[in-house]
Amino acid sequence: MTDLSNRKWYTGMTTQEDWWAVWLGLGFFCLGLLTLAGVDLVGWIAYPKKWVFSLPEGAVAKKIVTPDKAFYALGGKYSITAKGFYKSLGPIGSILVTYLVFTVATTIGAYFMKWNIKRYITGWTIIFFLTYLVWFIGHHAFFAATAVDLKKSKFPDMFTLSLGGGASFILALIVGLIIGNFFKGFASYLSTAAKPEWFIKTAIVFLGVKVGYLPIKAAASSAKLGKEVAGLTGELFIAGAAATVVAYLIFWPGVYLISRKIFKLPRKTAAVLGSGISICGVSAAVATGGAVRAKPVVSIMVSALVVVWAVIELIILPGFFTHVWPRTDDPLVAGAAMGMSVKTDGADAAAGELMDEFMRTKIERDTHGAVQWPEGIITVSAVMTKIWIDMFIGLWAFILALLWVYRIERRPGERVMASEVWHRFPKFVLGYFAAWFIYLAIFFGPGHAGAPEGMDVLKAATAGAVPVEKGMRKFFFMLTFMSLGIITDFKKLREAQFGKMVWVYFVALFLFIIPVAILIAYIFHHGMQIPNIAPQ
Amino acid sequence: MQEEEKKEISGTGSLTGEALEAEDVLAGAEPWDPIETKLVVWSFIAALIALIIGLLVVPTSIFFH
Amino acid sequence: MHTEYLIRHNGKSWVAENELCSLSASTLEELDLKVETHLRQTGLLKKGERMRVFMFFDNSTIPEWIRQYAQHYFNRVIEVKG
Repeated sequence: MTDLSNRKWYTGMTTQEDWWAVWLGLGFFCLGLLTLAGVDLVGWIAYPKKWVFSLPEGAVAKKIVTPDKAFYALGGKYSITAKGFYKSLGPIGSILVTYLVFTVATTIGAYFMKWNIKRYITGWTIIFFLTYLVWFIGHHAFFAATAVDLKKSKFPDMFTLSLGGGASFILALIVGLIIGNFFKGFASYLSTAAKPEWFIKTAIVFLGVKVGYLPIKAAASSAKLGKEVAGLTGELFIAGAAATVVAYLIFWPGVYLISRKIFKLPRKTAAVLGSGISICGVSAAVATGGAVRAKPVVSIMVSALVVVWAVIELIILPGFFTHVWPRTDDPLVAGAAMGMSVKTDGADAAAGELMDEFMRTKIERDTHGAVQWPEGIITVSAVMTKIWIDMFIGLWAFILALLWVYRIERRPGERVMASEVWHRFPKFVLGYFAAWFIYLAIFFGPGHAGAPEGMDVLKAATAGAVPVEKGMRKFFFMLTFMSLGIITDFKKLREAQFGKMVWVYFVALFLFIIPVAILIAYIFHHGMQIPNIAPQ
Repeated sequence: MQEEEKKEISGTGSLTGEALEAEDVLAGAEPWDPIETKLVVWSFIAALIALIIGLLVVPTSIFFH
Repeated sequence: MHTEYLIRHNGKSWVAENELCSLSASTLEELDLKVETHLRQTGLLKKGERMRVFMFFDNSTIPEWIRQYAQHYFNRVIEVKG
C-alpha cells in the first residue's frame, strides 16, 4: 500500500500521528475551554491518590487514603458546574469513563491512520488497564508518600521512598521493559498500540495547557506570583531557543567530525548519525537521511539505536541531575540540559517529568516543607529546548539538502523544494503553542492578570484546565513510559552489524553531547528560580 | 544478523529484512573533502555568533549575572 | 510542463513509478538518467522543451514504528531538457 501523505502541504492531516496528536490534544483542550461557558465535559478523568491498605490509628484520610478511594474523577474536586456528578462516578466509574472516551478518541485516530483496528483496540485495552494498575501500585504510600504527605494526613513517622509520582513512572517503564525484553511475542502484539511518540506528542499539547495555566494557578495565591510565573515561562521560551541553536550548531559538526575522522564512516552515514546523536534522534535521523539523499536503511539503523540509547538516558539522567549535579540549586539548567541531551520527545519529556517529581520531592524534604515548587515547571524547561530543536531540524535538514544537492554531490538538474521545511515541521508544536497562548490570553485578558475582578473567569478556566493539564497529561505520560518500555529491546545494541555505530554513539553522547548540553544550558539558564508556593 | 532480528528492526514497512544488509553504509568512507571542512567550520562559527547574540539578548544569560 | 512519480527504495535500488512506467536504479543519478531517457523515448518530453519531474516519497517505505517519530523523508524535483 503506498502512502503519499506528504504530496501536498495538507495531505498528511488525517493520516499522520503528528497531526493526530494535534487533533487529540486540541480536541480535549477545547472541551476544557467549555468550562468558561459553564459546561464541564472533562472532569471525568480518573486521577490517583496515595494510599495504604489501612489507615494507622489517629490518621485522617487526606493526602493518603484507603484503596477504595485511590482514584477520583478530577471534576469531583475542581468542577464548578458538575462537581456532584463527577464525585458520584467513584473510582471505578471514572476509570471506565476515561477508558471509553480515550478508546473512542484514539481509535478514530488509528482508523484514519489505517492501523489494524482490532489489534489496536485489544492492544490499547491491555496497555490502558496495565497502566492504571501500575499507576495504582506506584501510589502506595511506601513508594510515593513524602514527609509532608505523612504530616498532613497525621501519619506516624515511617520510612517511605518519597518518590512522589515518580514511582509510578519508574514502575511503568520497568513493566514495559520487562514485556519488551522478556515477552517479545506479547510486545510485538502490543506494538500496534504502543506508540510512545504519539502519546507524548499528545501529552505535550496538554503540556501547552499547563504552561498557559501555570500563571492562573499561581495567581490563586497572589496576582504578583501569577505574573512572575508567566514571566518565567516566557524566559524559558527565549532561553530555550538560544540554547538550542547554539547547541545544535556545535553538536552536529562535532559528531560529524567524530564519525568521519575517528570512526571513518562514509559521509552520508556520518551526517545521519550527526543528527541522530546530536539531538532530535529518530526524527532528525530520518530528516537528515532524506536531506542528504541517503538510502532509507541508514536512517532506519540509526533510529533503532537512538530509541534504545534514549531509554538508557531516561534511566540515568534524572537521578544524576537530581542527586549529583546541579541538584536543586539550578533545576532549570538541569531541565534545559535534559531537553538537549535526550534524543526522542518521548524519553525527554518522560525524563523531564521524572526529574520534576524527584526535584520537587527533594527540595520539599530538604527544607522540611518550607520550599515547595509548583508542579511541571521543570518538565516545561525540558520540553521547551526539545521543541525548539524539533522545529530547528526542519531548517537544518533544508540547509543540508541544499549543500548536498548543490555542492557535495552536485546533481545536475535537481532542485531542493522549500516545501520540505513544512513537511518536516513538527505539527504537534502548533497544538502546544495554541493551547499555551490561549490560556495565557485568558489570564491577561478576561482574567485581568489575577486581579480580583478576573477571579471568576480564572476559576472557571481552572475547572477546565486542570483535568487536561494534570489528569490527561499525566495519564498520557504514564502511557508513554509504559509503551517506551514495550518497544525498547536492549538486545539491539548487541547486534554485531551495529558495532561501530554503538560505539560512535556512546563516545559522542557521553563525552561530547551531554557535557556541552550542560554547559550551554548553564550559560542561558543559570540562576533562574522556580517560585516558592509553600503556604507562608 | 539473524533473519528474525532484521525483520524486527525493519518492522512492517515495505523495506524487507534484506534491506538491512548494509555493509556499504558503514564501509567505504570517501576521502575528506574541503567542503566538509567548510561545513564544520562554518557551523562552529555560526554557533559562536549565535552564542554571542544569545548572551547579549537573552535576559537570563550569565552575561547579565 | 511537469510530470509526477512516486519514489521509494526497495533495499537494493531506488524505484520511481507512475501509471505509465516503473524505473529502478541503484543510485539517484542513474535513476534520473533513466527517467529522462524514458520521458524522451515515449515522446512526453519533446526536443528543446524543459520539464519538471516531481518525485514524491512513498512513506510506506519507512517501517511503521518509525513513522510516529518522523513523517517525512524527502520529495524531490529534477529539471530535464529534451
